[in-house]
Amino acid sequence: MSIVQEFTYRLNFIMWKVRNIIQILVFFFLWDAVFSGRNGQIFGYTREQIFTYAFVLIVVRAVVFSVRSNDMAGQISNGELTNLLLKPVNYFKYWITRDAAYKILNIIFGFIEVGGLILILKPNIFFQSNPVYFLTFILSLIVSMFIYFNILAMTSFVPFWVPELAWGAQFLVIAVIVEFLSGASFPIDIFPKSIYQILMLTPFPYLIFAPIKIYLGSFSYLEVFRSLSIGAIWGVILWSISKTVWKKGLKVYEGVGR
Amino acid sequence: MLYTTAMDKAIIVDHLVKNFEVTVKEPGLTGAIKSLFSPKKKQIHALRGVSFTIQTGELIGFIGPNGAGKTTTLKTLSGLLYPTSGFIEVLEHDPWERKPEFLKQISLVMGQKNQLWWDLPAIETFELNKAIYEIPTREYEENLNELTTLLEIKKYVNTPVRKLSLGQRMRMELTASLLHKPKVLFLDEPTIGLDLVAQQKMRDFIYEYNRKYRATIILTSHNMDDLVNLARRVVVIDEGKILFDGALEDLTSRFAKEKIIRATLSSNDNIAEIDKIGKIKKLAFPEVVISVPRSTIAVAASELLQNFAVDDLTIEEVPIEDIIRRVFKGELKK
Repeated sequence: MSIVQEFTYRLNFIMWKVRNIIQILVFFFLWDAVFSGRNGQIFGYTREQIFTYAFVLIVVRAVVFSVRSNDMAGQISNGELTNLLLKPVNYFKYWITRDAAYKILNIIFGFIEVGGLILILKPNIFFQSNPVYFLTFILSLIVSMFIYFNILAMTSFVPFWVPELAWGAQFLVIAVIVEFLSGASFPIDIFPKSIYQILMLTPFPYLIFAPIKIYLGSFSYLEVFRSLSIGAIWGVILWSISKTVWKKGLKVYEGVGR
Repeated sequence: MLYTTAMDKAIIVDHLVKNFEVTVKEPGLTGAIKSLFSPKKKQIHALRGVSFTIQTGELIGFIGPNGAGKTTTLKTLSGLLYPTSGFIEVLEHDPWERKPEFLKQISLVMGQKNQLWWDLPAIETFELNKAIYEIPTREYEENLNELTTLLEIKKYVNTPVRKLSLGQRMRMELTASLLHKPKVLFLDEPTIGLDLVAQQKMRDFIYEYNRKYRATIILTSHNMDDLVNLARRVVVIDEGKILFDGALEDLTSRFAKEKIIRATLSSNDNIAEIDKIGKIKKLAFPEVVISVPRSTIAVAASELLQNFAVDDLTIEEVPIEDIIRRVFKGELKK
């Protein structure tokens, strides 16, 4: 059903994909310029590693950031939520299912993009062959999706109290904080070590940065374990917060205009 | 039988209170900034202690002026709003818990709401509802066939919703809301915006549904015909309180302070004097219609007979439509 709905918005979808590819190209050319005329490492990354980072980023973005649940906030502020509340469906399950459908679609396209860009740009890409890293990478993606869903949910529930803020709260958190602190724009270990260590205690690096590092095999097994645990703990914390906020929000819900 | 008393009450509402808190904003940018830093909150008392019970299979009309609390009541009954205080039970469930067993037995249809997916044909929404409500395929086929036949929309189910007319769309909405055969149905302005033919179709359908499935239906409407044709019992609500709860016919005796005298005169002598007896509603010789306070109706009638050349005289109640019209204007007080 969701997939059918996605395809009805073909143009939207294509435009979104185009934007995605441009983001990747910007990332690619920026770092290409940084490395040009230089050999060796910059910020602890080799040319090959940073490009792999970029390409893994495409897939990780497709897995983690492609969501339908960013409609939650709008639905609450315009009262469309009413429709959903009247039906015998679990609200969280409903959105997780819709997200899943959307993610599958995006992952397929993500691979096509990666394939295309590899053919065009012909970079040296590193493929992870160690099964431990590969499996923990998959695990870290699941943790990441869970964290992201709950961050989205929490910010989406703001309109229960302030309907006009449907868009603002989410923009601040998602577009600014998440985009910069998750590693979606640059690997966050280029920050000074003290800042980096503080960041690693927040939930954000576990969205993008940690999964990519695990894939690249640049974490030791201990670091992999620690990162998965901290990520999972954050997931549970955020999950219980978003559940609580949801319950409180429903009590003040007015179902305006419907 | 032991269970009859409990089972026969589909809906029980006792001293239901619902308050909303709204932020008051002054107009303009400064107002917006002010309200951001020191929001002024205002309590709105949408429902102030509403009580009623509805038996299984009853079809009742909720009437009252805009903002009286009708929709708030329906939303609270369907579990959308959290009651500030009071007791509600619908089909032996607390609506607020929104248990799947409860939600599978009710439906709320609102005239201005759409649950249909705008860009897809209605059939897709029906299929989705089939899955959500876990309707067995055979039952689904039967219900769908029956509903689309009764509502005469069979040929449009594959048309994208955005290409349907309002009347067609409303009937699709109704179909989507009834596929799971709810036992309790809340209809909020089901005929709003429909043309006369479509309105009549909708009414016939509601009547049939109530009769055939013994469904309990609460209907709110500003459409006189909806109420007169469908509801045997009405609940009048204004400013969050119930003003009247009883048979539609009794609404008149309860609220009409006047009665109507209709007389045919044989001569027009002294005809100008007639306004001393009562308020003239119509004066077109030989016919006269006057309205007189209930308490003095006998006196007025005999005065009329003594002082004028009366051929024929009848005393009537004020038409029900007049009363309902006054309900909508919020003119009725306890």
